[in-house]
Amino acid sequence: MPGRGSKPTIRPNRGYGRWTPFWFLAPAVFTLFIIGIYPTIFAFVTSFRRYNIARPRDGFPFIGLENYTSVLTDGTFWASLFLTAKFYVTVLPVQIALGLMIALLLHKTGMGFLKSLARVTLVVPLATTYAVVGLIGRLIFNRDFGVANWFLDSLGIGGLDWLGSQGGAFAAIVIMDIWQWTPFCALIFLAGLSMVPGEIEEAARLETSSKWALLKHVQLPYLMPGLTALLILRSADVLKLFDMVFVMTRGGPGSATDLVSIYIQRVGFRIFDLGTASAQAILLLIITILISRLYIRVLYKEVN
Amino acid sequence: MTFLKLDKIKKTFGELSVIKGVDITASKGEFVVFVGPSGCGKSTLLRMIAGLEDVSSGTLSIDGKEVTYEEPAKREVSMVFQSYALYPHMSVFENMAFGLRMAKLPEDEIRRRVGEAARILQIEPLLERKPRALSGGQRQRVAIGRSIVRNPKIFLFDEPLSNLDAELRSQMRVEIAKLHRNLGATMVYVTHDQVEAMTLADRIVVLRAGLVEQIGSPTELYDRPANTFVAGFIGSPKMNFLVAKVTGADNAGLQLSHPAFANGFLSLTHSSAGKAKIGDLLTVGLRPEHLDVAAASPLLKLTADFAENLGGSTQIYTRAGEDTIIILANGRPDLKPGAQITAGIDPRHIYLFTSDGLAL
Repeated sequence: MPGRGSKPTIRPNRGYGRWTPFWFLAPAVFTLFIIGIYPTIFAFVTSFRRYNIARPRDGFPFIGLENYTSVLTDGTFWASLFLTAKFYVTVLPVQIALGLMIALLLHKTGMGFLKSLARVTLVVPLATTYAVVGLIGRLIFNRDFGVANWFLDSLGIGGLDWLGSQGGAFAAIVIMDIWQWTPFCALIFLAGLSMVPGEIEEAARLETSSKWALLKHVQLPYLMPGLTALLILRSADVLKLFDMVFVMTRGGPGSATDLVSIYIQRVGFRIFDLGTASAQAILLLIITILISRLYIRVLYKEVN
Repeated sequence: MTFLKLDKIKKTFGELSVIKGVDITASKGEFVVFVGPSGCGKSTLLRMIAGLEDVSSGTLSIDGKEVTYEEPAKREVSMVFQSYALYPHMSVFENMAFGLRMAKLPEDEIRRRVGEAARILQIEPLLERKPRALSGGQRQRVAIGRSIVRNPKIFLFDEPLSNLDAELRSQMRVEIAKLHRNLGATMVYVTHDQVEAMTLADRIVVLRAGLVEQIGSPTELYDRPANTFVAGFIGSPKMNFLVAKVTGADNAGLQLSHPAFANGFLSLTHSSAGKAKIGDLLTVGLRPEHLDVAAASPLLKLTADFAENLGGSTQIYTRAGEDTIIILANGRPDLKPGAQITAGIDPRHIYLFTSDGLAL
């Protein structure tokens, strides 16, 4: 009761106890800590130690930046990083271009039922586990009974040994990644397009009949925030892309599909040099953060 | 000469018929206002002229050229939207210049035209700003400016003032009227506000449920409404209606009876009196501003119910049996609820409609 007693109560009665918000947040924070924060800290600390679990007699002493210098002078690491970059600049433009085309088609008026169907279909590749995408890829690109070769045959082109050749294997993982991630780009762009107020699009249609001008001057500004998010997510994702490629090619043949995450996995769990692997992972994290900051600075702009 | 022609225009959305065959013509330089209640199809009609909405059947021509299926940008019309529809990421200058850039005009011509429009609309200091840094009235000016610079064949306005507050609305209304006078351009304006229609229009098109109810100058619609709908829609406050019985009719005049008539009946001369027969029911229309509470020979005896003081005048709500009669009286008559009052009217201001609602 305000006014009664020495002081009026300051805290309003919110209808819940002081600790209630804590209990709602606790499970999420706890889980995040277990699976995210603790491993990151562990990797960070490990990256400064000699930590080869195949040779426990050496102990796990702190060795300063030695792991980092050995990583930065390791030609294989640079080669795998370069291959990852090549993979990234191959898949991303295709995904963005195809995604934008699909989004523009779905944004057109008319054919409501088919469009709803198409939108639902777009979610299927996204909902597929990477490892399963890899398994599907192995079937599609099988030399003897894969559908890719059957398709080439029907075009009168001889079958390829996709997963057995250097170029073929790289092409195969590129195609599977495009298959899996183009729908994501399409959905992001579709959301952006639906953000453009109808009357603004109409005002532009009264001033120009060029679809390209409409896209460039009116719709594109609304697509930029989505595009930025997309680039950041895809950068992080390509840098850590592991399961799909591992299932399909295990990094081979030779080092044709030896992406950086596959290489790190090999260092960590084949050679069991967790110190070096951790240093590589931390470098990867730094690269991801730098790329993200760059995208945000260059591209991100709120329309309103 | 006919500049804009809508010929048997229809619009259907699947089973739903929204525009049910509309014929409208406008000559060059005319200010045409489409007015009607929400859902009457007036905006759809305007959007069909712009090309933003497909025409289901009929033909549409602008300046002697058929444009029924022409793309919006090729019709050389410009439109001011209710939400202004400015490009949020462009400055005021770029907003106004966009259409000209798309038309590939030389840069100095673009600067000249935008500068000229900005001067007319007094938005020169705002040219570098983004739309979000503008007030509603300023955005409206920019939207109009964007229309002006393109020097279109027809200006289209889709309820442009309905997002503004009352004062700004009347101010912009005057400016649009002046703009029309100075540019001499053909304008088509959609509104649900009959005051805007009355003050701006050379000609008003009254629409209801996808059909034209009447087309005419504001004075024609006010003085000679074709039916009770137009009579009720044009004029504020709205016209009063009483259903009276014909008790006498010949070629020269009529006698009507209604319990609210002071003498029990009303005699008046009327040119079309011969069309009415004894026993018919006619609707008598009386405009609130024509009723006079101080008249020497009153027509109505009424029971005062409620009075709204408007400052210079008073809106009196009265009861006449079942019906409510509104009177717009000068000054502030002192009325107690329940008081018996009388009201007279100049017989020339009495409107008569048949039971179908058509003017007699």
